[in-house]
Amino acid sequence: MSYIVKDTILYVENLSVAYDGKVIIKDINITEKDVHRETVTTGQVIAVLGRSGRGKSTLFKALTGLVKPATGQVLIRDIKNSTEMDIKAKQVEEGDVGFVDQKYTLFRHKTIYQALKFALRKSSLSEKEKEDKINKYIQEWGLEKVRNQYPNELSGGQRQRTAIIEQIFSSGSYMILDEPFSGLDVGNVEDVKRSIHKIGADHTLNTVIFSTHDIELAVSLADSIYVIGYPTINGKMEHYGTVVGHFDLKAMQLAWKDFDAGHLQLVEQIKKLMLSS
Amino acid sequence: MLRKLFTPLEKIKAPFNLYIILFWLIMVLFTWFLLTSGQKHLIPSPAQVFTGFGELMSEGLVTHIGSSLSLCFQSVLFSIIVSLIIVYLSPLPALKPLASMISKFRYLPLTGITYYFTVFFHTARGMQIAVLVVFMSTFFITSLLAVIKDIPDEEFDHARTLKCNRWETLWEVIIKGRLDYVFDVLRQNLAIVWMMIVTVESILVAEGGLGVLIKNNDKFMNHGKIFALQIVILILGLLIDVFLNFCRKSLFRYSKF
Repeated sequence: MSYIVKDTILYVENLSVAYDGKVIIKDINITEKDVHRETVTTGQVIAVLGRSGRGKSTLFKALTGLVKPATGQVLIRDIKNSTEMDIKAKQVEEGDVGFVDQKYTLFRHKTIYQALKFALRKSSLSEKEKEDKINKYIQEWGLEKVRNQYPNELSGGQRQRTAIIEQIFSSGSYMILDEPFSGLDVGNVEDVKRSIHKIGADHTLNTVIFSTHDIELAVSLADSIYVIGYPTINGKMEHYGTVVGHFDLKAMQLAWKDFDAGHLQLVEQIKKLMLSS
Repeated sequence: MLRKLFTPLEKIKAPFNLYIILFWLIMVLFTWFLLTSGQKHLIPSPAQVFTGFGELMSEGLVTHIGSSLSLCFQSVLFSIIVSLIIVYLSPLPALKPLASMISKFRYLPLTGITYYFTVFFHTARGMQIAVLVVFMSTFFITSLLAVIKDIPDEEFDHARTLKCNRWETLWEVIIKGRLDYVFDVLRQNLAIVWMMIVTVESILVAEGGLGVLIKNNDKFMNHGKIFALQIVILILGLLIDVFLNFCRKSLFRYSKF
C-alpha cells in the first residue's frame, strides 16, 4: 500500500467555461501528481462525480482542449520534451488528451483495423512497427475476430474498447472516459474496469479520468475522486459547476484494495455532498 | 387474423404481408377494368394502354428512353458535382451563406427563366442540361446540407481528439464519412429530377425523349399512349431507385439505414 508522489501530471487552475455568456463551470482547481508504488506499475485513476447538468462533460471538453476556457488554464506534462531531471508542462491542446464519449464514437466508415491505423498516422513508428502494435492491441483487447468489422457491426463493448485503443494510440498518457459504465451489463462493466486497470498497469504516467453515476464503482476503482456540484456561497446556491469536494483515496488508505467498510463510509459521504450540491 | 390487419402497429409476418400487397394490386387492376368497362370512360382501358404501348414501340420508344436516360445521367452527374463542391465548402464560414442561398432558389419556377439559358447555350441538349443542373442542384444542396447538419457533434470532437486538423475533420467526417448519403440523397431526389427531365424535354423538343412523346400524344388526346408512357416513366424511375440503393449498399458495407 505504500506509495510516493512525484511531479505534477495535471494542473487545472481557476478554470471556467461559458457558452453564449452562460457560465457552466467556474473556479475549477485540480492538482494530480504522478504516483509510484514499489512493486506495481500504477497509473492514476481519477473519478469525477456529480449530479446531471453540473458540468462534468464541459469540464472534460476543457480538459481535452475541445473547448477554450473563458478563464484559467489546463496544464499537462509535456512528455515529448521532458526528461527525468527536467519536467516541462504545456497547455493542453486538441489531441493531447484522449477522449471517449458516452456513445463510444468512431469513424463510421473505418473498420477497427483502419481506425487504429489512422490513429497511428502521426506516429514516428515504421510501418512494420505500426502493424505489430495494432496486432498486439487487437489481440490483447479481444478484438481479433472483428478486426475487419465496421462500428455498426460491433457490440457496445467492442466499440468502446476500439475507441479506447484509438485514443491510446493517438494521445498517449492521458485518457478521459465520459460515463464509460452507463448502459452496460455486469459483464461489460467488468471489461471496462479491466481496461482501466490495463491502461494504468502499462505505464506510471498513464492517467485515466472518468465520470460515473455509480458512486460505489467510483470509490472501488479510483485513487482520487472529485465531486462537481453547485456551490453554496453566503447561503445561496449558485448555478454553475465547481469542485465541491476532493477525496484522495491514497491518503485515506482506500486505494488499490478490496471494497470494505471504509469505502462504504466514503460512498455515504459523497452521496450527501452530491445531494447538497 | 382479420383483427390483426386493422390493429395499429401490428406486425404481419411473411407471407401474409405479401398477400396484402397482392390484394391491393388486384384491387387497383380490378378498379381500372371496372372503371373502363362501359362505353364512355375518363381514363383509357388496359386494352387501349396495351395498344398504345405497341404503337409507341413502333415510334421508337427505346430510342426516346435512351435519350431521356442519357439526359438524366449527364444532368445528375454535373449537378451532383456542382452541389457537392458547394456543400463541402459550406462549413467555411465565408461560404456558408452561399449554400443556404442556393438552397432557397428551389422555390423559383422553371418557366420564364429558361430564356436566360438560351443566351448562353446554343444547342438544345446543352440548354436542357444547364436548366436541369441549375434546378436539380438547388434540391441536392438542400438535402446534402441537411445531411451535414445531422452529423452529431461527437463525430467532429472524435476527429479532433485524434489530432485531425480542421481540413482533415472535414475530409474524414463530412466527405468520406457521409459518402453513402450522397447516393441516398440522389435516390430521394430522383422523383423530382425525373419529373423535371420530362418537363424540360417537352419544352425543348429537338433532342427527343419521353417528355416529347408525352407532349405530342397529349396534343392528339391519345390517352392510351399517354398512360403507357406514364407507366414506362414510373417503372424506369423505380428501376433507377433500386439501382442507386443497390449501389449504396454494395459500395458501402457499413451503410445500413
